Amino acid sequence: MTPVVQLESVSRAFGRSRDAVAAVSDLDLAVPRGKFTTLLGPSGCGKTTTLRMIAGFVQPTSGRILLEGADATKTPPEKRNIGMVFQSYALFPHMTIIDNVAFGLRARGLAKTEVTARAGEALELVGLSALAGRKPGALSGGQQQRVALARAVAIRPSVLLLDEPLSNLDARLRVQMRAELRRVQRETGLTAILVTHDQDEALELSDHMVILNKGRLEQEGAPRDVFPRPASRFVADFLGYENFPVLPGHGPVAIRPEHVRLLSSGEPEDAGVTLEATVTNVTYQGSHCVVEVNANGLGDGTRLLCAHPGEAPRPGEAVRVLLPAAHLVTLGEDAEAAR
Amino acid sequence: MRRAANLTGVELSRRGTLFALLVPGLAVLLFGFLYPVAATLAFPPDGDPATVARETGSLLTDPYLLPVIARTIRVAVVTTLICLVLGFPVAYLISRVPPRWSGKLLALAIFPLMLNTVVRTYGWLVVLGGNGLLSSLTEGLGLGPSRLLYTETAIVLGLVQLFLPLMILSCYSSLSQQDPRLEEAARGLGASPGRAFRQVVFPLALPGALVGCTLVFAGAVTAFTTPQLLGGARERILSTLLYSRVNVSLDWPAASAVALVMTVLVLVVSALSSRLSAKGSTQ
Amino acid sequence: MIRRPLLSLLTALAFLIMLGPVVILLGVAFTAGSTLTFPPEGLSLRWFAAALDYQPFISSLGTSLVVAALSTVLALALGVPATLALQRGLIPGRGVVENLFATPIIVPELVLGLALFQQLMVGLQITALATLVIGHTVLLLPYAVRVVGASLALSDPRLEEAARGLGAGPLRTFFQVTLPVMRPGIISAAILAFITSLNNVPLSLLLTGPGVSTLPVEMLNYVQSSYDPVVAAVSVLLLAASVAVALVTERLVGFNKVFGR
Repeated sequence: MTPVVQLESVSRAFGRSRDAVAAVSDLDLAVPRGKFTTLLGPSGCGKTTTLRMIAGFVQPTSGRILLEGADATKTPPEKRNIGMVFQSYALFPHMTIIDNVAFGLRARGLAKTEVTARAGEALELVGLSALAGRKPGALSGGQQQRVALARAVAIRPSVLLLDEPLSNLDARLRVQMRAELRRVQRETGLTAILVTHDQDEALELSDHMVILNKGRLEQEGAPRDVFPRPASRFVADFLGYENFPVLPGHGPVAIRPEHVRLLSSGEPEDAGVTLEATVTNVTYQGSHCVVEVNANGLGDGTRLLCAHPGEAPRPGEAVRVLLPAAHLVTLGEDAEAAR
Repeated sequence: MRRAANLTGVELSRRGTLFALLVPGLAVLLFGFLYPVAATLAFPPDGDPATVARETGSLLTDPYLLPVIARTIRVAVVTTLICLVLGFPVAYLISRVPPRWSGKLLALAIFPLMLNTVVRTYGWLVVLGGNGLLSSLTEGLGLGPSRLLYTETAIVLGLVQLFLPLMILSCYSSLSQQDPRLEEAARGLGASPGRAFRQVVFPLALPGALVGCTLVFAGAVTAFTTPQLLGGARERILSTLLYSRVNVSLDWPAASAVALVMTVLVLVVSALSSRLSAKGSTQ
Repeated sequence: MIRRPLLSLLTALAFLIMLGPVVILLGVAFTAGSTLTFPPEGLSLRWFAAALDYQPFISSLGTSLVVAALSTVLALALGVPATLALQRGLIPGRGVVENLFATPIIVPELVLGLALFQQLMVGLQITALATLVIGHTVLLLPYAVRVVGASLALSDPRLEEAARGLGAGPLRTFFQVTLPVMRPGIISAAILAFITSLNNVPLSLLLTGPGVSTLPVEMLNYVQSSYDPVVAAVSVLLLAASVAVALVTERLVGFNKVFGR
């Protein structure tokens, strides 16, 4: 099956040729059909530029963009059949909700009855049929975002593009809207691409995750594969790994604080690396304590964080720390360092 | 991502389109503004840059004309100061009363801007004229007739009336953005009302006051109707002098010289004020 | 906070100076006497009759309305596209172009009037009416660009992208999205420009020809040559018209929003 969207060594630079800054460099990407893909990375990593190139708002400096297998690099946005949802919602303030949703259908010259039916259907999908006659200004942020979603879905786009759609919402609403997004994508069976800097959002929503750094692809795959096995220090760092010791015989590794164990005296050692360490700081977090230790024998000052559920040791105490083999991630050559 | 957003326009609409949108406006500016103004300031009919320069020189040294320049500046400065002293408190009041009052007060202050300057100045003739309101008042008090019409004071009064709305608006735009809790904080720290006003409210509203002062000063230097009606031929300022040179003495190079001095005066003050506000914002 | 009594006193004084002379005209206009005096000597409408009978006022009002209407339309027709290009496109040297559109404001209007009189009317033999329209268009252009620009700057630049993404071409996007979004700004600019043109004296002063002159200039000329209350009557009529315009403006876009800039 051809991917819905394909990027072939796409680059984009901004600014004049001499002091141009590369926002995206030599990116290859295939977006699987009917799946939820996220482009994840810190701000300035090129994820939004990538999405805008797929939409046709930005032209690549080099490379090709294929939609449904056909070269669409030079196709204007209105001929690409994309459904885009913006961070700022971008609802037309002078039109009612239903007219907003119907806009794309009317632009396609559909018959009146079909426009009404499909716009109504899309509005029902997001549960806002009751507000059809209102203007966007009268709606809450969450409602506006749902209208924007309905508007994009109504045209039955070949791909749904979501540009940080949840970042203008408050924390509680954001979590609700994630479920809503996922439901709408499943019910419609649309291919979706979400841009986000929020790793939780990406983990929860995506079937396929693409992590970008400085305009280059760092790692891609299913969240279940990427999360426990980050390929580089950058990805591990971004996904919340906090300990990066260099172990004798292992080289550079990464491990999450919740996987580091403090061994009580006499406890048998599991498979893994055991280190002698001194406690330097303890922070109470409610369900657990974060114990900061300095590992001896790793050269000076190798600081490790350990999320410890039991009674915490005191600063200055000597402890034994276990890094279980099952949770140790061996980091490959850093993509960035390799350049 | 701001950058990407800016570039979109270019990529969605071609450069040719942008050019076509800008050119008609620029063409009219060129033909109806830049060309005639430049030509008149440098090459008036029956004159050349040398004549204009000579006329400008005599304007700046002539014992009859120098007082006109001095009067213009004096009138503009006094007008600006009075406008500031009256306008700032009004703006402050408007910014601190409940919204249903502030809207109405602001509208009342702005409304005179809808009337032309003849309408606005005409009333002063009734107030200040030979057998006008003020004169009957002073005579009634046994002080004899007042002779304010055709004096500098009359011009200043008329100009203050004309430009107060601009000062109020400029100050208000600064004051309405100020958090009223700043003043409460100052009071809470033990400052008297006057001290809180002097040390917190006024300094923070200075940018708006500066814009207001620039607008009023430039307006006062270039106003014509009011000084013509209230100052007449006795108390000439640059604008009325310019008019009489064009209409009465028909001396065009001399008129260009007055125009040049007036324009330079306004430009210098605007430039100074924008330097000042740029300096203020970096501190 | 300054002390209340002082604040109230200064405010009262400010409003007295701003509005007092205008209010006095109401009394003067209805006088039965024949000089400029207040309080009026008896009541009559004779000066209103005289004003409406005075041909130069009627014909100059016609000129004023024609010039204001034409120059407002022209300033918007030139200014709106320019604003669009400046706000939505990437123009090299955008700041310079923007400043260029604002410059007519800082050159004294009397100087611009003199320049247009010398170069266009005398030099190029353009008629007084055409020169008036050109001059007023130049005068209003900065207002059009600034007011429309402010409303465009407030709107989401992604709106046009949203429309394009939904399948609307550039023209459809302009007429169905951009133009309606700019509408309040265009209405505000039109009202402000029209009133500004209608009231202008210094620019119009020298741009007169046989039978061509604007109403404020004719009023000024009348005041300078005779001392009777006809102009007070005209002023009261203009005042009434201004109140009407203010009320309509308030309903359309908000009076303070249009004139409070």
